[in-house]
Amino acid sequence: MSAEPRASPDPDPTGSPAIETRGLTKRFGERTALDGIDLQVPRGCAFGFLGPNGAGKTTIIRTLLGLTHATAGSMQLLGHPVPAERSQALQRVGAIVEEPRFHPFLTGRENLRLVAAVRGPEVHERIDPALARVGLSDRAEDKVKSYSMGMRQRLGVARCLLADPLLLILDEPTNGLDPGGIQEFREMIRAMVEQEGRTVFISSHLLDEVEKTCDAAAIVDRGKIITQGAIADLAAGGEVRHELILGVDDPQLAQSTLDGSELVSEIVPSDEGLRVVLTGGPETAAQLNAALVRAGVGVMRLEPVRHSLEQRFLQITSRLDASAAPEEVKA
Amino acid sequence: MNATVATQMFGADFLKLRKKRSTLIWALVLAILPIVIFFTVNAIEHASNSSHEAAGGINSFHDGVRLLGGLFFGPLVAILIGVEAGTTDSSDGVFRDLVVTGRSRLALFATRVPAALALCWSVIIAAYALILLGTFVFASNLPTPSGSLIVEGLGFVLLATGVLCTVAVGFASLIDSKPGAIIALIAWQVIASPLISSISSLGSGRNFVLTQAIAHFGPAGTKDARGTEVVMSGGTALIVILIWLAVFLGLGAWRTRTMDA
Repeated sequence: MSAEPRASPDPDPTGSPAIETRGLTKRFGERTALDGIDLQVPRGCAFGFLGPNGAGKTTIIRTLLGLTHATAGSMQLLGHPVPAERSQALQRVGAIVEEPRFHPFLTGRENLRLVAAVRGPEVHERIDPALARVGLSDRAEDKVKSYSMGMRQRLGVARCLLADPLLLILDEPTNGLDPGGIQEFREMIRAMVEQEGRTVFISSHLLDEVEKTCDAAAIVDRGKIITQGAIADLAAGGEVRHELILGVDDPQLAQSTLDGSELVSEIVPSDEGLRVVLTGGPETAAQLNAALVRAGVGVMRLEPVRHSLEQRFLQITSRLDASAAPEEVKA
Repeated sequence: MNATVATQMFGADFLKLRKKRSTLIWALVLAILPIVIFFTVNAIEHASNSSHEAAGGINSFHDGVRLLGGLFFGPLVAILIGVEAGTTDSSDGVFRDLVVTGRSRLALFATRVPAALALCWSVIIAAYALILLGTFVFASNLPTPSGSLIVEGLGFVLLATGVLCTVAVGFASLIDSKPGAIIALIAWQVIASPLISSISSLGSGRNFVLTQAIAHFGPAGTKDARGTEVVMSGGTALIVILIWLAVFLGLGAWRTRTMDA
């Protein structure tokens, strides 16, 4: 996949969020698919929209893009209220909803020509760069029915790029990609954000994918946003906790040395060693090491604990499951 | 939507239709094969029995126009292409990708009609040219159609197939099902229309059968193609055609504008 110049300038650089919803609600008969969603996606980042299957991820995307109508609430895309200014809002938005679909009897290039014709005359000149950007120039004249799933995903991204998008909305974009394709896709997303200044909104149920690709995320379940923020903050559960795994030659001596120390707030033995929560920032680790050495403890390992979004996600959803359980019993 | 965008969108819709090989092949077969068979059989009969009228000439011209405009084959071509135009985006799952460009859904619907007409009429004109070829090549000593009759015949087949093709685009967009739309329209055209037309107790109510209104504009020599004729004025026939077009284009546009993509 080749490099792409920055997205052309934003015609509305007001600093408004790329996506903003207030109380967004969507009901299908008795079933509430989106329940008062308040979402804010800042510009210039990769934002993950994370949730289990059936949580409402695709519904919010379809509602934002005007593929289905909201029951209540308001939304803005790139500063434009939708649906009132839907046409202007979507001019600089590229989207893949669910899986990318094409006319199978047309070539990759012909499929892009169809969308270019609908978007406007200036868009035709973006077809070749878009195909090159996703590495499909060599297969552009082949019919789409001969494409693999990975190639269709890439062609879907090329179709998004025809809009010279300030905002890309990608629904489960790594579905059907092999590990190499996922890695390539991840790099492309990061390049779009860091080098080209675009905002990328990715819905996914793959925690690892969001954690590796995105700067910030929202966790959604049963049509509600449970939490949102920077990935590191989400993983830490909103608290800034600095934790270490200590590998020492004498765990008991180490624990008695650190018990009552103002450097640590919590010490818990674990299979890996002693799990220690620091009272201060990462620099406290050096002081802790010095204290242990002074006490005659041999320190073999001193490793910061990386909070995983997966742990946090499971924590949240299991709590929700637990709180929902009594109702299910009643039902 | 300016003229440039409209032209490009028309070109895109036309590209989709002409590249859908199965539809195009069936349309060509339905339009051309009956005419080839008609002239071939008549030519063979004339060759083997000189008392049999020559395969060409004005009578064969009228029969050919009847095949293409009044009876099944031209309307079948129109239905196939119109339904394809009305459903291809949604059946291939591409409609939502067109909607997310921000282009109005009405514009997406509107460009389907001229694209369908362009392809339908290309096929019909090719078949009409074949009729003229057979008419003149096999005419022997029989009279041949005048220039004005040729133009009148062309106008009739274009009107008949164009109206049906447009109705098919609207109806297919409304029900959003290719097989459903094809079956319903063929059933209406081939079974229901002749049946309703034959019930004389319906009186002027039969004026609202589209094929009757269209047949009013057929060349004089094709009039017997109407089967059970319903007599109506030119104004009534025109109004009936316009009502059919307005109703089905309106319903198709409404459905395209309001459906979940």
